[in-house]
Amino acid sequence: MLDTLLEIVNTVRNNKGLATLSDLKPSQDLRNDLGFDSLDLAELTVRIEKEHGIDIFADGFVLTVSDILAKLAK
Amino acid sequence: MPDKIFLHDYKTGKRYSYNQLLADLNALSNLERYCYKQDLYTIFLTIIAANLHQIALVLLDADFSYEELQKFQINATMLAEKEHVVPPSINSVDELVGRLIVNKDWELTLFTSGTTGLPKSVTHTFKSLTRAVRISSRHAGDVWGFAYNPTHIAGLQVFYQALLNGNTLINLFSAARHTVLDFITSFQITNISATPTFYRLLFPLTELYPSVKRLTSGGEKFDGALSEKLLDFFPNAKLRNIYASTEAGTMLEGVGDIFVLNDENCYRIVENELYVHRSLLGKGDTTSLEDDEWYPTGDLVELIQEDPKKFRFLQRKNEMINVGGYKVNPLEVEENICIHHAVKQAYVYGKPNILLGNIIIADIVSDAGITEKELRDFLQSRLQPYKIPRIMNFVSFIELTRSGKLKRT
Repeated sequence: MLDTLLEIVNTVRNNKGLATLSDLKPSQDLRNDLGFDSLDLAELTVRIEKEHGIDIFADGFVLTVSDILAKLAK
Repeated sequence: MPDKIFLHDYKTGKRYSYNQLLADLNALSNLERYCYKQDLYTIFLTIIAANLHQIALVLLDADFSYEELQKFQINATMLAEKEHVVPPSINSVDELVGRLIVNKDWELTLFTSGTTGLPKSVTHTFKSLTRAVRISSRHAGDVWGFAYNPTHIAGLQVFYQALLNGNTLINLFSAARHTVLDFITSFQITNISATPTFYRLLFPLTELYPSVKRLTSGGEKFDGALSEKLLDFFPNAKLRNIYASTEAGTMLEGVGDIFVLNDENCYRIVENELYVHRSLLGKGDTTSLEDDEWYPTGDLVELIQEDPKKFRFLQRKNEMINVGGYKVNPLEVEENICIHHAVKQAYVYGKPNILLGNIIIADIVSDAGITEKELRDFLQSRLQPYKIPRIMNFVSFIELTRSGKLKRT
């Protein structure tokens, strides 16, 4: 799960000219640590939904990598 | 007078007092005709100086590309043009306000997404720009969270509401969530005007923000569930929903998503579309007026009561896509994608998204093996960031209608 999420995160990062990350930590904040703005977060949700069929923002808000993992584990 | 804060900007970490503002205005002897700047204080100073000296000003988004400016027929020489003025000697905020508000015919031009694929200019007068501004001693203590782009109509209206009441402005536009929340408390912000997207991105909220008296929402479809959640954390705030457009400025104030049409000389509904009388419009383009009198807003409404007329907004009649309060014209985006030599055809549309309202998607036909990243980089030099598709699907064909147009659903 973490691997496919890492791939998606890196796609969004690379698209905006940020470096590829080698790993993700559950505690990482999507905005402060991964450098995502609101447009990036929207892109991330669409890409995750495409891969996993789950809209991570559908029921409440996610701030960190572990918040996403929790939504995907449901 | 005590040295009240005019603006605090998190981007530069700088704080400007009203005394500083007056000193800077009193020192200015050369004024630009085009404002194409990044720094918020400099943008505000440029607008106030132009208004004060009655020099017509054109406001440009700082992220307009060189290609976009060329399309508006604005070149480097024009950007560098300056007008010499005699420096004023203004001694107080009251005197400044008094000298600004008499220039009712002063003109300010801004750009908005046009329906043809090219952004169009709209020229407002001071009068049309500040129609919704209320000056009163009741507002003297207001502290504004500034959450809009300063070169767009909503930002200008918040700016004038604050300036003309001598209020403090705290920049929150594009600020990180924790910065916004810190500032609401530390500056005791009383008023915030923002898009539903701005408010959505504040969640999850855990603390109460009792200083806020008024939360205004606009620029996107009203979000009822969001409003209820906001009131849990802003216990002293009143919520209001504003309907405004670049062409006409602030027009109507709703209760929830319901608007009352109280003046039939100014507004009317024809075939479910809201029309606005030309008397409310900025100058600018009059070609789209019907009978030389009425401007079709492109907003479709549902009438829910006859007398007095009450309605709610349904959707856009044209194809404009609302991305977090920014209107994006898919035709403009398609046109720019198709400039790339590897692209044969492009179809741009909005996909509903819970964070931003919509996200821009492009279906692209290309037989030259271009990547999404390459195309995004190409578009970055041509379009403002919010107009660039966030998802690109490479497809083998795009369905056309019988008239040869892209099929839009």
